[in-house]
Amino acid sequence: MNVIQQLSSPTMYLICGGIIAFIATVCVIFAVRAWRAGKAIGMDTAVLKRVVTSSASFSVLPAVGILLGVIALSGALGIPWPWLRLSVIGALHYETQVAQGAAEQVSIQLSGSEMTASAFATIALLMSVCIMWGMILNLFLNKKYTNRLSKNSSSGSSFGDQAMTAMFIGLVSVYIGSYLGIWISGNGRFTFAGSVLPLLTALCAAAVMAILTHLAEKLKAKWLEDFSLALSMLAGMACAALLNTVVK
Amino acid sequence: MSREETIARYERSTHRLGRIVSVVTLILLVGAPFVIGSFLGAMPDVSAVVRGFAAVGLVWTVSSVVEFLVYTPMLGSGGSYLAFITGNLINMKIPCAINARDVAGVKAGTKENEIVSTLSIAVSSLVTILVLALGVLLLQPLQPILQSEALQPAFDQVVPALFGAMAYKYYRKNLSLAVWPLLLMSLVFILLPTLQSQTSILIIPGGGLAILLAWLHYRKEKKQ
Repeated sequence: MNVIQQLSSPTMYLICGGIIAFIATVCVIFAVRAWRAGKAIGMDTAVLKRVVTSSASFSVLPAVGILLGVIALSGALGIPWPWLRLSVIGALHYETQVAQGAAEQVSIQLSGSEMTASAFATIALLMSVCIMWGMILNLFLNKKYTNRLSKNSSSGSSFGDQAMTAMFIGLVSVYIGSYLGIWISGNGRFTFAGSVLPLLTALCAAAVMAILTHLAEKLKAKWLEDFSLALSMLAGMACAALLNTVVK
Repeated sequence: MSREETIARYERSTHRLGRIVSVVTLILLVGAPFVIGSFLGAMPDVSAVVRGFAAVGLVWTVSSVVEFLVYTPMLGSGGSYLAFITGNLINMKIPCAINARDVAGVKAGTKENEIVSTLSIAVSSLVTILVLALGVLLLQPLQPILQSEALQPAFDQVVPALFGAMAYKYYRKNLSLAVWPLLLMSLVFILLPTLQSQTSILIIPGGGLAILLAWLHYRKEKKQ
């Protein structure tokens, strides 16, 4: 059995699947606790149900995108390890980059034909070490940080909600700005030779979101609000698949 | 039990549970390469890990600090523990929690928001785990479809589709707040194309500018 076969062996599935099962259990515990706490402080069950429905429907498409990351990495790292990485703690944009960087440190290309047992163990450890800092910060500072934020928000200021909305607007602007930048200067400053596809996809999703929001408001259809984000994303992605044949 | 007591009890147990599962997850994730290494008959090369960390890890460490500072206030304590354990923050958990907040009509910083965000991230993580498990199970028949030339661009553009839809939702109600950050960030990415791969670092100045504008607007409204 060569290394790449070993990396997709039942033992590997058992190790990685076990960790994923643990995280899934943690998610169920957090969800049940949040639901019960919501009910205990008087939140409407219908609202909690809408949160569950909209979150589940929203998550399907990005999850399929993440599955592609598993497929992309499986050629070099087998299936179970990328499956674990992208189910737990990992991020789609992060894994390939770090795996590539780690492969360079052990002087191999990130491919199944060059993979050795030692190289895999090293790459796997580096992938874990590089991304664990958010969790470590949470471990030591979450309580202090959130307590301080609670004190600030209960000290009479009502700016907290507006600040969070503003922060998210800033975050969205960074990404939309980057799509514009990729198109205009992605292949040399002001050459307009970069890919316009991310920008067009974003515009298409925004247009469909506008239509769905208008419909939901006009028809007073709450259910449509819950699915509008998922449907807009689907439309944006369909638009990308269609436009890919005519633009770069 | 009063509402305050219920909340205080929930918060205490959230931190306790969050810390325990964070420690266990860290042990599992760092320990797994060694367990797998012993199964494969080779241990990780620690000196290569140190070199690799210096080469690619430092950027992600800075990014993690930024993510912790920015996302924790958005998610609350329970949501943060869970989001940092399950990952895929920017392309999934953050928009999901923000969308859930809108759907539930709750405000950031409230206990209701804390509960909604935790619930949404838990559900989102479970859906991801389920989709990936099904995908892995059906990898052979699904692979040609998912990797087909026709569908590849669609899956490459998941994040732009997500932010396009979110942009409309947030810009329409806060246009005056959105104009300057969007203009500034566009200029930055146009004039400094090398930053196009460093979007996470630019969230601080982009978000900071939007918060500053919101603060000025808030002060102005308060005076009136």
